[in-house]
Amino acid sequence: METRIDFLEWLEPDMAFKILSCLDDSADLVRASAVSRYWQNIVVSNGLSKQLCMSTFPQLACITRVVGPSHENSSERDHRAYASLFRALTSFPLTYCVADPVSASSTDNYPQESIMNTLDPRDTIRNRGSYWSSKGSNDTETPETLIYSLTANICVITEINLHPFQALFQFDFPIYSSRFVRFRMGHPKSCNDLNYDFVDAQECADDKFIWTYTSQMFPVIQQNRLQRFKLPEPVICIGGYLQVELLGRVQKQASDDKYYFCVAHVQAIGRQLSPAFSVEFSEPSNSVSLKYDAAKFGLTVSNGQNGSLSTSVLPVQPPRQLAWGNLQEFMQIVEGHDDGVEYDVWADEFDPIL
Amino acid sequence: MTSSKTIVLRSSDGATFEVDEAVALHSLMIKHRIETGGADSTTIDVPEVTGNTLSKVIEYCKKHVEAPNSDDLKSFDTDFVKVDQAVLCHLAKASYYMNIKGLLDLSSKTIADMFKGKTVEQIRETFHIKNDFTPEEEEELRKENSWNLFV
Repeated sequence: METRIDFLEWLEPDMAFKILSCLDDSADLVRASAVSRYWQNIVVSNGLSKQLCMSTFPQLACITRVVGPSHENSSERDHRAYASLFRALTSFPLTYCVADPVSASSTDNYPQESIMNTLDPRDTIRNRGSYWSSKGSNDTETPETLIYSLTANICVITEINLHPFQALFQFDFPIYSSRFVRFRMGHPKSCNDLNYDFVDAQECADDKFIWTYTSQMFPVIQQNRLQRFKLPEPVICIGGYLQVELLGRVQKQASDDKYYFCVAHVQAIGRQLSPAFSVEFSEPSNSVSLKYDAAKFGLTVSNGQNGSLSTSVLPVQPPRQLAWGNLQEFMQIVEGHDDGVEYDVWADEFDPIL
Repeated sequence: MTSSKTIVLRSSDGATFEVDEAVALHSLMIKHRIETGGADSTTIDVPEVTGNTLSKVIEYCKKHVEAPNSDDLKSFDTDFVKVDQAVLCHLAKASYYMNIKGLLDLSSKTIADMFKGKTVEQIRETFHIKNDFTPEEEEELRKENSWNLFV
């Protein structure tokens, strides 16, 4: 008659720990913890789910505690939260993650060249692609930054796309790209700082943030197309803010002999972890809590693995042929233009693009 | 002058194996015993390990000491752990007691790989493990882990 001895119990506890630590998928760890009480104890009391998350995604090290369903003891809660977090980080659907603009370090003609224009690649202003333009500079080394909020305050970003703008309405069709681009991710120093419209005030919000991740410098090609910058490893953005830094001006504007940056479109691709997960920063210590909602997590998983990157799910304002709401203000600007374009084509351009 | 000193290892069931000292030193436990045991420690007892397992452990150490840079080391390792489960578990335990890091890592990873993709019930079957949860606890676990398709 066969006696069933739990082989992990037969091995030394250190060995059992070592074997279970070799598992590189949280789903395996969860199953292992359901095999027997002994296995459950090893997985849960040693925090193996947390260990797996931390070794795979070092950016998570800043998380100081987990907030979750209150009836569990803390080891069980951590076990469940981190196992689910790993699953979310590796297999939630890919989606577009840029939500709203926060600030641009400078803007040439506001509002028609506002950072708002970089959100939706489809919108046009008078049949020109819409774009953001920096102010001009005589120094090619003057950098510029664009800051965006993301769709969730914790997400994992796999790549960022940038489309430099080509001015087809200018002689010689200049492309106002940069030599390099660099990305940062982080969180605001204080959430009160962001109760302010930096875009409208045309102020730069760089110093309101703590950037916890800085990428390498990626070379940018001076071409009028969407360029993909794949991050060497997926990066967790804890805090929900992305900075795009443009370095090295290459294109002068003929009319004033100054160097500009112009960008048609910016987008980030990754997995957003809300509503199952969110992070909370407590001031002034800046400690980070991870909030886990098991029910919402279960719902996200059961809603399917089919992420969508079709342009119909770009998170945008409806297409704006008119970039600002005040028609009178707009007419003043339009009348100031001297390129002689007829304006009675406006009626057509109010048709929304779906 | 290189000493071709040999060491005798004695298993739990009295089997003896003569090995080159260099090979024996691959086990940090034996290294420690030799260093602390004085000049006349030529026979070392390994009571935690049976003869069959010890012979395999020695085979591993020989290969890794005598040809550490050989191209076929990786395939040697892969083939080495293609053994039945009981042998694998004994190897793992032996490598732990004898403090042989390479073999410990290899056998641990191989055992862990045996869990991958199996349901909880299949894991229990494979390793002859008794389910000591109550039906209520089982049900609770199943519910909480329902996102995990293999529960």
